[in-house]
Parts: sequence; C-alpha cells; structure tokens
Amino acid sequence: MAKRMEATKFLVPLNGERVDENTLRLACTIARSEKGKVYAIYVIEVKRALPLDAEIEPETEQAEKVLKRAERIGDEMDCEVVTELLQAREVGPAIVDEAVERGIDVIIMGMPYKKPFGEFELGNTVPYVLKHAPCRVLVWRESVDIEEP
Amino acid sequence: MYIIVVGGGKLGYYLTTTLLKEGHEILILEKDPAKCDAICEELGSVVVRGDGCEARTLAEAGTERADMLIAVTNEDEDNLVACQVAKHKFNVPRTIARINNPKNEALFKKLGIDVTVSSTNLILEHIAEEVPTHPLIHLLTLTGRNLEVVEIKVPPNSAAVGKRVRELALPPQSVITLMVGKWGAVVPTLDTILEPGAQLIAVTRTEAKEALREAITATKGAE
Repeated sequence: MAKRMEATKFLVPLNGERVDENTLRLACTIARSEKGKVYAIYVIEVKRALPLDAEIEPETEQAEKVLKRAERIGDEMDCEVVTELLQAREVGPAIVDEAVERGIDVIIMGMPYKKPFGEFELGNTVPYVLKHAPCRVLVWRESVDIEEP
Repeated sequence: MYIIVVGGGKLGYYLTTTLLKEGHEILILEKDPAKCDAICEELGSVVVRGDGCEARTLAEAGTERADMLIAVTNEDEDNLVACQVAKHKFNVPRTIARINNPKNEALFKKLGIDVTVSSTNLILEHIAEEVPTHPLIHLLTLTGRNLEVVEIKVPPNSAAVGKRVRELALPPQSVITLMVGKWGAVVPTLDTILEPGAQLIAVTRTEAKEALREAITATKGAE
C-alpha cells in the first residue's frame, strides 16, 4: 500500500488569474484524498501611502469574487474550502505568515506561463515562498498553450 | 505610530528593531540593495529600496501619513535633506536627524529640524564621564528650551568649597538642583554649604555652561 503524504492542511494563494481554478482543483483533489482542508487566500497589496487596514474598494470587490468562486469550486468537488481575504504590504511574506499561523502542511501555488521580456520569469512571490516557507511548497505552472494565444 | 527611518545601517537596523518591539509601524528607506535584502531577511517587509532624500521615494513610502521621520544615515547632508523634505513637503509633525559632524548642529536647528542627535558628541560625553578629572558632564538637553541638565564635581581645591550656594557667582538661569556628597543626596537650599568632592546636578542655559563650570570649579588662586 502506498505511503500517505501526511498532509491535511493545504494553502492556496489566489490572485484572480486564470491559473487559480486549476490550482484550486488540484489542491481540492489532493485534500479530499487526504481527508484534509484547503485554505484559499487572496492577498491585497496595500501601498505604503495607505494604512494597512485601509478599505480599497475595487480590489476588495475583486478579491471577494475570487474567494466566492473558490468556495463554489470546493462545493463542486466536495472539499472543505476555507477562504480568507488578507491585506499586506507584500504578498510573499503574507503567504508565509499565513502558512505559519495556520500550521499549513503544503502550500500549492499556481503561476501562469509568462515571458514579459521574452524571458520566462518566476516573479517575486514564488521565489520568496519557496525560500521562506517552513512547509512543503508545490508550484503548479500553467501549460504554455493555455497562456499563449 | 507610523515612523519612517532613513538609512538602514547598524543604527537604522537596531532603531527599527526597538521601535517594532514597541508596536510601531516602521519603514526603512535604504539605497543599498544588499542592506535591503539583509534587513528584509531579518525583519520582514519593513524596508523599501530608495533614496530618502527624494520626494518621489518619500511619497511612495507614505510620508504624508507618517507621524515621525528619523534620518540616521552616515551623511549629514542626506539627513538634513530627508528631514527638510519630510517637514516642509509632507508636513511630518516630528523629524529627528543624526548629526555626524558636531559643527552642523547649529545649522540643523536653524533649518527647523525638530530634534538633532550628535553621535560624535554623545560618544565624547560618554568618554568624558569616564575621565575622573572631567569636572562637567552633560546629562540631558531639555528640548526646545535651550536648557541642559549637567553634572559638576566640586574639586577639593575649588574656591567654592565651604561657600553657601547663595555666595556662588552662578550665571543667570542656572540652578543647582541636587547635591550628592558624603551625607548622601540633598536638595540644596541657598544656605547649603558646598562639600569638597560633591557631585552637583544643575540646570543651566547652554551658553552659560562654561560660566557655571567656572563658578564651581575655579581654584582659590584663580578666583
């Protein structure tokens, strides 16, 4: 019999990109097989010019839509999805802090296939989380044909 | 309180650590990317790479909503400019600047920096405290009042020994507030007699410090 991965808490950061849905579905599939739970978070980056708890209307609206969609996907897949909206100065540290606070076993991050200047780039958040997260991190990169027209 | 610290050197780093422990929201502005990375690694996202003298950087840092800006770089010019821009463009209520060259202290005060801290003077004062023969030690500056609290030792051969406080030629607005002698600490009256070797705590105007020292420490022959 295959050995279980001993993970029940999965953290999925979302940001409204197309890759979100596939990442969340992957997380739900794994979580369901492990009888675990998925924590879906959306982090709003707040500029320094504003206090951290400032209400940023358009971003909050967008975040709530994304999180509602995440809950629906959880229902569809028969997996418990707990959603949370966070405000932070930077996304990477917020994800790591959340993982520490909730005692997360695996962070599952989705990223699109992007070549902003002709070169493939990981951006800032994924490398930060890979470097600083205390738990396991799974990066789901979207396939090339999905992102490129 | 939202506090911006300009300069992420040793002083900026330790200042930030202390202020974070007190629960303040802190942001360090630092030009050097290596220092930024080191601070970020240690303290999290409390640092922004940029020049604290530039209005654009200060605007991005949210200086408009800052309660205080503390400039602690190694360059007096940078500290002055950062404080001035913060004060006059962003109306920051309180600015504090580190001064490396004591000669610049008067200029900083003239240009409206709220508080200046001269690191060279502080080191000098601490060294002076350890020199047993040094008769006058600066203890505290009373902000905005041009008054200082100083400690003076009464040399055994001073002309002031055995005199009553009322007989001393103290400069105007100079007050002896405490005398620590062989009988312990006493609040002196005008009739208190100065003991040899006693330590006096006095409040005086900055420009009268020398005259006060002279009044307490001048030897009998020099009177």
